[in-house]
Amino acid sequence: MTGTAIISPVAITAYQCVSAAGDDTEALWRSLNSNQTCLKPLQLFELPFTTVVGEITSPLPDIRPELRAYDCRNAKVALRALNQGGFRTAVEQAMARHGAGRVGLVLGTSTSGIYDSEAAYVHFLQHGQMPGDFNFTRRHTAQATAEFLRLELGLRGPCHAISTACSSSAKALGVGQRLIAADVCDAVLVAGVDTLCRLTLHGFHSLQLVSPEPCRPMDIKRCGINIGEAAALLLLERMAVDNAHHSRLLAVGESSDAHHMSAPHPEGAGAAAAMRRALALAGKEPGQVDYINLHATATPLNDLAEAKAVACVFADTPPCSGVKGLLGHTLGAAGAVGAIVSLLALERGLLPGTCGLDDADPQCACPVLAAPRPGVYPRLIVSNAFGFGGNNASILLGIGEPR
Amino acid sequence: MMECMTLLGFGACAPDSEFRASLPFPAGDIDRGVMPAALRRRASQAMLMAFSAADVACKRAGRPPSGLPSVFASVAGEIQVTDRLCIELAKPDGVVSPTAFHNSVHNTTAGYWGIAHHCTRPSTALAAGHDTFAMALLEAWCQLACHGGELLLVCYDERWPAYLAPPMGAPAFASAMVLGAGSVAGGLASIGRPQPGLSARLPDNLAALAAHQPAAAIPLLAQVAAAGKNQEIPVSMAFGGWRVSLISYTFEVTDEEQ
Repeated sequence: MTGTAIISPVAITAYQCVSAAGDDTEALWRSLNSNQTCLKPLQLFELPFTTVVGEITSPLPDIRPELRAYDCRNAKVALRALNQGGFRTAVEQAMARHGAGRVGLVLGTSTSGIYDSEAAYVHFLQHGQMPGDFNFTRRHTAQATAEFLRLELGLRGPCHAISTACSSSAKALGVGQRLIAADVCDAVLVAGVDTLCRLTLHGFHSLQLVSPEPCRPMDIKRCGINIGEAAALLLLERMAVDNAHHSRLLAVGESSDAHHMSAPHPEGAGAAAAMRRALALAGKEPGQVDYINLHATATPLNDLAEAKAVACVFADTPPCSGVKGLLGHTLGAAGAVGAIVSLLALERGLLPGTCGLDDADPQCACPVLAAPRPGVYPRLIVSNAFGFGGNNASILLGIGEPR
Repeated sequence: MMECMTLLGFGACAPDSEFRASLPFPAGDIDRGVMPAALRRRASQAMLMAFSAADVACKRAGRPPSGLPSVFASVAGEIQVTDRLCIELAKPDGVVSPTAFHNSVHNTTAGYWGIAHHCTRPSTALAAGHDTFAMALLEAWCQLACHGGELLLVCYDERWPAYLAPPMGAPAFASAMVLGAGSVAGGLASIGRPQPGLSARLPDNLAALAAHQPAAAIPLLAQVAAAGKNQEIPVSMAFGGWRVSLISYTFEVTDEEQ
């Protein structure tokens, strides 16, 4: 990868997140500061094994009748995030500024509306047909909630979903940046939305990757993940004088392990390539990064591979931490959640801690923070997201100009 | 700013022989030989079709797969595996197989393509309903415009269980293209940036063939194979639609491909 052309940065002019920490970024900020886990036993449905999850427990909004075909838990969680803290207004202002046809939408999700499909399949087994209101392409398939958000907002630009398991929304940020850099769009709403469902809980359990207790990223006693759910929305806009003070998405580095469907490359080669690619695309050096938001899912193999990758890329490793002990692993939303955690760190001054980390694994040779460090203002952050299929993405975020 | 992308080679796979015979360009059946033996046993129809089409596209373009980033696009991905998992989950005593679970993700085919070809370049998996082929072309355009070079685009959907979204989900079809940034010598066609809006009406036979994703690639490939003049080609049959301008050059079908 010699002579990588630098990609133009984009401004992140608004963001919002609904997660187990609560219904907006303020709740997430409080959670990052307190570093107390939000993981609890699952309420949504019954499980035949023990674990805790990062569940959104507040009542979810109704989908308006005209868009009923899209009604599913994923769309409702996305709508909740859209309506928080002025995010919808920010998108409407971008539409007014650029024209609805120049505002795109890219969703990252792994399981889309499958929680609702699971109930439809129970009906199918009992009655031999799907329920009357089942709508495969508007609830189940990956782009369903992307179409819902586009119609809800009246956007007219390109609209699709990236579904690469747990790197989905990190890669969606890369798509959004490219849509602006290639002059297809002036603004792109990037959404990472994934919701709890039987498929992922039973599926990860079948792979023996689910921890019965709150997970312990980078800890010597780590024994697996807890699954969470979230909707994380970010509005990307072409750089301009009046948005120069906003934090920036500098690049998303992407790579493939080409190793195994569900296990990482043992030396973290793909993860290292993704981080290097992000730095090269932004014209930055490893030494300029002052915080790494780790993917750190708390499986023995994932954390070890990521730690090796970090040590390989960064000769003088900056402070690292991961938030999955707070919120759970939000799967396809994890990349966008990680980006928002990093933006809060950049803009409000905090190095997050790693909830659940008591006894750092000496094999994971990177400086992982157990407790948060308030009052520290990083300027350049790498945020990682790695998924099944050996699909890797590293997001590089930087501060804007002083006001 | 990039003015066009160049189609360097394409392949198509249609397991249904009647549908295959109706296509106005060369298409093959599933070729199990293109998949490593270790992966073949559990390979889905989606994976086999995508591999078959992509193998032909890379060979015709003369590009080794290991050097190409890839865009895999599909409405429903691994829907046959996912459907079986959903049936198991709906039973009181259902069993979820770990392999079936990790083979149910939308990027399963993309992941195995990288594993099979030792390709560590970026690979993505995209979905956009009726606009899936159009959005895959747009993502390919943006990657080439921002990063240059060449890439592999594969658009496919396996046969869906009949009760999910009739009459959608059939016939199963995969198309693959190797695309290069800008004008590249030896290309089959030059493709402009995907644009929103409808193009001129298609002939009825093509419109019928291309009515459902994943067949939205059919009009474009038909035009390439016909070596037509500069034309606006629809790449989505959805309301509103997407189109590309296409200038096709010479296209010759060699004996071995017949």
